[in-house]
Amino acid sequence: MIDLHGFGDQLLQGALITVELAMASLAVGLVLGLLGAAAKLSSIAPLRWLATIYTTIVRGIPELLTVLIIYFGATIVLMAIASQFGYDDYIEVGPFAAGVTALGLTFGAYATEVFRGALQSIPKGQHEAATALGMGAFRKFQRIILPQVWRVALPGLGNLFLVLLKDTALVSIVGLDDIMRKANIAVSSTKQPFLFYATAAVMYLLLTIISMVVVTWLEKRASRGMRRG
Amino acid sequence: MSKAPALELIDIHKTFTDVEVLKGISLKAYDGDVISILGSSGSGKSTFLRCINLLENPTKGEIIFNGESLKLASSGRDLAAADMKQLTKMRQQIGFVFQSFNLWPHMTVLQNVMEGPAHVLKRPKQEVMDYAEHLLNKVGIADKKHMYPNQLSGGQQQRVAIARTLAMDPQVILFDEPTSALDPELVGEVLGVMRKLAEEGRTMLIVTHEMSFAKEVSSEVVFLHKGVVEEKGTPDKVFNSPDSERCRAFLSSTY
Ligand SMILES: Nc1ncnc2c1ncn2[C@@H]1O[C@H](COP(=O)(O)OP(=O)(O)O)[C@@H](O)[C@H]1O
Ligand SMILES: [Mg+2]
Repeated sequence: MIDLHGFGDQLLQGALITVELAMASLAVGLVLGLLGAAAKLSSIAPLRWLATIYTTIVRGIPELLTVLIIYFGATIVLMAIASQFGYDDYIEVGPFAAGVTALGLTFGAYATEVFRGALQSIPKGQHEAATALGMGAFRKFQRIILPQVWRVALPGLGNLFLVLLKDTALVSIVGLDDIMRKANIAVSSTKQPFLFYATAAVMYLLLTIISMVVVTWLEKRASRGMRRG
Repeated sequence: MSKAPALELIDIHKTFTDVEVLKGISLKAYDGDVISILGSSGSGKSTFLRCINLLENPTKGEIIFNGESLKLASSGRDLAAADMKQLTKMRQQIGFVFQSFNLWPHMTVLQNVMEGPAHVLKRPKQEVMDYAEHLLNKVGIADKKHMYPNQLSGGQQQRVAIARTLAMDPQVILFDEPTSALDPELVGEVLGVMRKLAEEGRTMLIVTHEMSFAKEVSSEVVFLHKGVVEEKGTPDKVFNSPDSERCRAFLSSTY
């Protein structure tokens, strides 16, 4: 057995934080992606502009910078808002909240394009069959369109999730105790960089493999009825 | 005929960008009427049918269903529903069968048929399921109820689509070329189902190219040409002694 000099538990705790950050960012990003796609396909021009500004800015900035800007910027913005209401104490935005915001924004910007393509791939007749039955717009989206969009979007979203999983390591720079930071701490205390960076790499790899298995399972489930039998 | 028509269309116009596709079409359907709409491709048959339940917004005209006029308001150049509740209610009572079936591929045959009554009309699940199975039986697909649409032939899919429409208990059913996407050997099974519906006294508007079917089941036949009603009357009149030269030419070219 490899000797991790007592840092094994620390690394596992880091893995838990990494997974939590990835899942929370995914949830935020999926919602932003759906909203972004709906806005881009909207007949209301200002909504389309807003969505385009969002995706252009977020996709144009390196993820590392997004993390730093959100982490340091959010405190400034929140304190400015709070002081308007006569609250002048120091407000701290934790690294986890900043990470979820930054990675959620990033995932959402890319997912906007994935969802937009998927929404556009649903034939007009699918909408019309629901409309002709007297189904309302919300129910039509929920029952008829979303399940089909989901199926089309899944491979693309799965890919984005793998990128997101590894981008979580960037949040260690603002002090989040994830796998990456735990590995750095272990390295500086044991002076064994190769051992701990390799261990961290294996942990990310394992998380990636698990994600891929889950995505494949979801894809299989979502494509029921889609192949000719 | 003192009773009001089930469905009345008055002076329906439709303009797409700069082309006037419908130039004032009026039509009355009484309960039990089977009205076939004929015409060459591009004459405006689909557009007319789609204007009835506002899948397409007409540019001008009036739609009266069961004596109640559909409230319309200007929206750009076209008219749009002014009262979404009223439109939704009307759509629930006017079935529409598409040329391309448009079944929902992520749902089984049974789920497709149950969707409307269960999730739009919100009827009790068991009742909906029993009724859906009864309808699938009626269109001859009962044994395929747990299959997905993509596993069925075109003729089977169209029969499921008809069952899906029937599940709403519509008062009027609109058919837009229901057999045109089918291989010739599958046309008969769909026409068979439609013939049965006609015999039951269902009120139907059918856009079709199946001339002998139209002749046999229709109470009235309408011939559209370039967005106007060029000829209309009993099947005997339209098929055997049409007034319009164009109608005669159309019939001799296809029938
Ligand atoms: N959404 C649309 N936009 C522009 N033109 C259309 C549209 N739908 C139909 N048309 C045109 O309207 C005319 C009538 O079409 P349609 O009603 O589909 O005819 P039919 O069903 O009799 O073949 C055609 O010339 C067609 O190109
Ligand atoms: Mg047509």
